[in-house]
Amino acid sequence: MKSTERHIYSLRPSFHRRVEGAVVWVLRIATLIILVAGLAVFGDIIFKGSRTVFQTSFPFVNVAFLTEAPKTLYVFEHEGASFEMADDDFRAFRTGLEEEAAAAGLPAPQLKTKSYVYSAGGVFPNIVGTILLVMGSMTIALSLGVASAIYLNEYAKQGPVVRFIRLAILNLAGVPSIVFGLFGFGMFVIYFGWNVSLLAGWFTLAFMVLPVVITASEEALKAVPKGFREGSLALGATKWQTIRKAVLPYATPGILTSSILGIARVAGETAPIMFTAAYVVRDKLPWEVERAIDFLFQGVMALPYHIYVVSSKIPQNEYSERVQYGTAFVFLGIVAIIATTSIVLRNRLRSRYRW
Amino acid sequence: MPDSDRPAFAIRKTRTRFLGLTMDECIQAFFGGNALVAVLVLGLITVFLFREGSGFFKQNQSNIEVYRTAGLEYVDHLKRQEADHTALTRYLFDLRVRVFKHHTEVEGATLGEANQQLIAFDDYSYDFGDTVEPLREAVYDLSESVTATKTRMLVNEDRLVERQQLRDAGAVEAAEAVVIEEIDLVAARQPLLAFRPVYGQINGQFAASLLSVLAAEAPAMPTAELEARFTRFHELVEQYIDGFPTVEAALNTWDPNEPIPTWKSWTSFITGERWLTASFWQDWYGVLPLLTGSLMVSMVALIIAVPLGVGAAIYVNQLASVREQNIIKPCIEFISAIPSVVLGFFGIAVLGQAIRIISQWDWLSWVPGFPVVERLNALTAGVLLALIAVPTIFTLAEDALQNVPRAFKEASFALGATKLQTIIRIVIPAALSGIISAVLLGLGRVVGETMVVLLCAGNRIAIPDFTTGIAAFTQPVHTMTGIIAQEMGEVVQGGIHYRALFVVGIVLFFIALFINFMAQKIVQRYRISIG
Repeated sequence: MKSTERHIYSLRPSFHRRVEGAVVWVLRIATLIILVAGLAVFGDIIFKGSRTVFQTSFPFVNVAFLTEAPKTLYVFEHEGASFEMADDDFRAFRTGLEEEAAAAGLPAPQLKTKSYVYSAGGVFPNIVGTILLVMGSMTIALSLGVASAIYLNEYAKQGPVVRFIRLAILNLAGVPSIVFGLFGFGMFVIYFGWNVSLLAGWFTLAFMVLPVVITASEEALKAVPKGFREGSLALGATKWQTIRKAVLPYATPGILTSSILGIARVAGETAPIMFTAAYVVRDKLPWEVERAIDFLFQGVMALPYHIYVVSSKIPQNEYSERVQYGTAFVFLGIVAIIATTSIVLRNRLRSRYRW
Repeated sequence: MPDSDRPAFAIRKTRTRFLGLTMDECIQAFFGGNALVAVLVLGLITVFLFREGSGFFKQNQSNIEVYRTAGLEYVDHLKRQEADHTALTRYLFDLRVRVFKHHTEVEGATLGEANQQLIAFDDYSYDFGDTVEPLREAVYDLSESVTATKTRMLVNEDRLVERQQLRDAGAVEAAEAVVIEEIDLVAARQPLLAFRPVYGQINGQFAASLLSVLAAEAPAMPTAELEARFTRFHELVEQYIDGFPTVEAALNTWDPNEPIPTWKSWTSFITGERWLTASFWQDWYGVLPLLTGSLMVSMVALIIAVPLGVGAAIYVNQLASVREQNIIKPCIEFISAIPSVVLGFFGIAVLGQAIRIISQWDWLSWVPGFPVVERLNALTAGVLLALIAVPTIFTLAEDALQNVPRAFKEASFALGATKLQTIIRIVIPAALSGIISAVLLGLGRVVGETMVVLLCAGNRIAIPDFTTGIAAFTQPVHTMTGIIAQEMGEVVQGGIHYRALFVVGIVLFFIALFINFMAQKIVQRYRISIG
């Protein structure tokens, strides 16, 4: 059979078919552009950030970066060698030099230093602050959100009140995060007098993520088959017993996994915590408080705010780039882990719970 | 129903009652209460935004009143006249650069020779520049005097507030002890009023000297194009001189005691073209530059994100294989999880520079605005915002396509339509309202996004120069979200600047609500059309 010969039913080449092929390719390229753009952001930050966070020698992870507070970096030359030191090391070094000089009866050596804020040390307090913010706000958001979803899905009958509530939830989801920041500032920080504190940040973030949690929980509750509830009610259980024993246990995994995306959002937002909970710098760790109640009313350092500070408030140079990319890498890593967990868990749950 | 009426054997289901509610009803009420939190939060946001922002318009009015009574308005007329002259001088300087370029590049003269040839031109422009001197001196003296008056008025206002606070705190004696210096406004304005006849003279001299400069022998221009520019300069100067009587009239009719109407405080916010704060002359709170910036950035983002997001949604939903779907969907969801501050940082560290380098490529020089002057501008921020809008648009548009009933497609295929025909004629029209609402919600996200624009939009508070056409998009802008994030930390609580930021927040809040409302309306119509 010659190659030009075609089977009678095979598709014949035509103008329309070529157009269709071209359109498919255009759309495919659009999709690829999105993926490549996303990959470029991830790739750049992972590639450059890993230089700060990892190292070639044992233990392969830059432990200091993950366990120390941000410090000022001093760069100077002394006796022909160039040094880079964090502020506490530098002070010790200079005192040593001065003592040496005094012992030898010489004037103290003058060091020409350049200092770079936040470029030494690590981001430990920021990691802690972010984790505290996420845990507190998600606890609040989950308890409020799940209860709302139970009401909307299990109890409420269609009516004007429920429609109004749903409308409010939809609109709340569209409110810009900076407006939540203003609201939190006006209400918690000023009106309640909580100042810049964990508590103010928790509530602001919780309210911001509430619509996400409610929608996710409702989806999970809807996925539980009606038969479960009817069976339980038929056995004489009350409504609450039914919800507790026959609905919630099956909905919980779904609620939690879908809410993880809410966690990623809470961890990633900067604008709402800028005036409600975040400090640029704070030398104490959150648990170093005198009274237990102070724990709630202290501001914390947070990773997203730190990225903002180091990328806009300090000049760009090789030293600051290190801490910028390192912080972004750690932050992106945390968020990516949360998001991956959510996506993987959800896909697995989808296949497991098939009623 | 009383208990005694019940038959003895009836099972009593309710044992405990609380506030007349059964246990189950209590639980229901608890959950219902939680569901109301969303409504409550929305209400509280409105209340607190208005609570903090409400005083703004009153304060802004007194701000404008001080501007008038202290005489700043008067001096501003003169300042504008001076500024126009400066603009003309700049035009002349720009012309010199062009002539210089012509000499060196076209005629191949050395730098020294070119400068030699321009001596006549320079003399001419110096003469022109000198004409403004008498006016400039007068403006300087008057500025000093009115700024002093304004400062004294502001000090008095502060003292009044202090006295009120002391009185509220119960310290009456201390309140009375606060000295409020009487300002003799009439005396303070004396220099301004005395200046009126002097100004007539200065103006006359100024016009005469300008005319004599114009009448003097004009330096020769090497080409017709430059000659045309020079003629244009003459016309501009003549127009400028024609405007003098208007300024004089404005000065002569200026009445410091004329009350400021209430709407002025509103219009100066809504249509004000200046957002100037902490200035030593006069603060202006006009939202227009910020609104323009927000809209421009969003426009760039949508122009990029809509074709990409909708295209990808159509591809994934209609054309891609299941394996492709399983890869692409989680990836895009992953992109939506990138925190905005990280994207902003990426913009500062990589994208801004990349756009600048790309814009310097020769074969792209036809693009308006290229090469870009500033690394961080509306374009940079818009490109990054597109990456934020894409996942939203993609997910929602994909949902909308998914919701198109299968029967629609099957019927189309059965009639012999090709895949492409089915998609374009059947699936997309059926999902159109869903797609539009997806785009609107994407717009909502972009308008409300803070960190990316704060870091990458360039933060210059000015309405870009739209006379340059599309190139305006390569200029730095400032946005509503950005200004709140940037200035909120530095303002005095309860001050006019603080309240102005809250009013910007209110504007933003209502824009977001409006976009959301539109999206919902469109989706509702969509339901009807399918049913």
